[in-house]
Amino acid sequence: MAKPGLLVVLLAAVLLIGCTPAEESSIAPLTPTAGRVDPGLGPGTRALSSGPGYKGSPSWSPNGTRIAFTMDGYVMDRPTTSGESRRWTTKDFVATDTEWTSDDTLTILGAASSSGRGAENSLYRANAGESPLALERTAKEVLAMSPIPGEEGLIFALASGPHESELALTRNGGTTYRLYTNKPIKGHVSALSLSPDGDEAVMAVRPPRDPRTSELRTFDLRQREGREVTRLKGNREIVGTPQLTQHGIYFVSGKQTSSVDDDAPEPFFELYRVPAEGGASELAPGVGADFVASSIRVSPDDDRLAVIGRLNPKSPINLYVLDLAAKKLEAITANEDMEIKTDPDDLAWSPDGSNVAIIARGTPSTEAEVRTEPANRLLRDFYNLYEIPVSDETAR
Amino acid sequence: MRGVAVWFSGAALAFFLTAGAFLLLANIATVPSEKNLAPEPPDASSQDVVELQLNADQLASLKPKPDQSLDLTLRNESELTLPAVNVTLKVSSENTALSGSRYYRKMVEKVPSNGTADIKFGINLSEPEQRVTGRPASEPAREILEIKAATPDGISTTKTVILPP
Repeated sequence: MAKPGLLVVLLAAVLLIGCTPAEESSIAPLTPTAGRVDPGLGPGTRALSSGPGYKGSPSWSPNGTRIAFTMDGYVMDRPTTSGESRRWTTKDFVATDTEWTSDDTLTILGAASSSGRGAENSLYRANAGESPLALERTAKEVLAMSPIPGEEGLIFALASGPHESELALTRNGGTTYRLYTNKPIKGHVSALSLSPDGDEAVMAVRPPRDPRTSELRTFDLRQREGREVTRLKGNREIVGTPQLTQHGIYFVSGKQTSSVDDDAPEPFFELYRVPAEGGASELAPGVGADFVASSIRVSPDDDRLAVIGRLNPKSPINLYVLDLAAKKLEAITANEDMEIKTDPDDLAWSPDGSNVAIIARGTPSTEAEVRTEPANRLLRDFYNLYEIPVSDETAR
Repeated sequence: MRGVAVWFSGAALAFFLTAGAFLLLANIATVPSEKNLAPEPPDASSQDVVELQLNADQLASLKPKPDQSLDLTLRNESELTLPAVNVTLKVSSENTALSGSRYYRKMVEKVPSNGTADIKFGINLSEPEQRVTGRPASEPAREILEIKAATPDGISTTKTVILPP
């Protein structure tokens, strides 16, 4: 009788152990930056940052897992999913742009804040694995920079005289560089970008004795030869960073206003295309005659152009994608009441071309606003980064 | 016949011991299933315990100067008397590059059930240090008041006020 009793006890023990449900544990609530939200930009949008701070110049790491940006002059980065932010610079430094040169190295364009506003920018290197907040200077009097797609390197333009610029290359996040040519560019480079294959650079240049950024130049990095593509006439100038694509060079151009009057009409900028080999520029096909452009970026696959702009001067600002081959424009965001930032560097493609990062906020109120969340979790009240999904089929 | 019964009992015993061991190991090694678990709502209980009330007219009258007043009403919405509520106020700039956030603290004792307590803060809203940062002049930074009330049980509620420039 003892054996059947033992068997019953064992059977009960097995059933008790095997059938008892696993202990439940609470799941922490998602942070505002972890899930898809609709802050007023359309479905599928995801916040990449939260809280106060004037943010700009988003840049995805080469493996797409982190995004760096400037915030009130210092440099931050954070995971694109969820996690803690890292601060890369101290408060005595004012960064104007930042780019990844490897998955753990940032190149930062900026100057010491003690130098005052308008001080000459230098190029610095910062590495996540080294002592935090330590910057190593690579070059002085740097005017513009662009990472080399698919490589751990960076091309930058530096002032070599009052009216001259030179292109230089730095690799592997190093603090040394080499100049591309002994023949300087006449004028100061104001913006620089590389073609998606990394073989050629396109620059917006302010020629000597010209107050406007009116010249478009290219430089073949393999042949080490540069040439003027076009020069704008009248009082128009190139705004932001031109983009070199397999379908020509795209750039934003218009007449800058110097008025500080709030009631002054908004400057009217248009998107143009010019053949890479030179010639007359034309309004970019596919965007429409009334389109007002702000900032542009070519996709990593070289087929699409992300454009922040308005369909006409009275329509809201949205993110659009232009299919360069089909000449077809598609709205990606459905903005109703958000202010999308329109500075030239406030736009970035993810490395796989599936998302675009933009910066936006809700329209600020003229009255005190009360919220029920801590300030560092608020989204719409401050400029924040948003990931906008862009499918491969978009605009095709 | 007895031998068959012994063999049968032995085989059954071995089977259950082995199965039990495997089930035990499986339960130890497996993380709890997340299926059907509802996420814990943030500060769910705080909405039923303490509430902070602000005066909109007073908020509109605040100036970026020293010697400003901020009045709050703390409401205990629970069924129990709260022995103590710690109320903190942080005044900071929207410009995150500027240091110099100001902190204020008040302790309110014995707030009766469904009762209120008035709290008065004297605060300095003068503009923080001025120095070069990456914020353009066209984007003046707003002042942020972050008020947090916390009970000894760790339950808290927050109100954030964003003042226009």
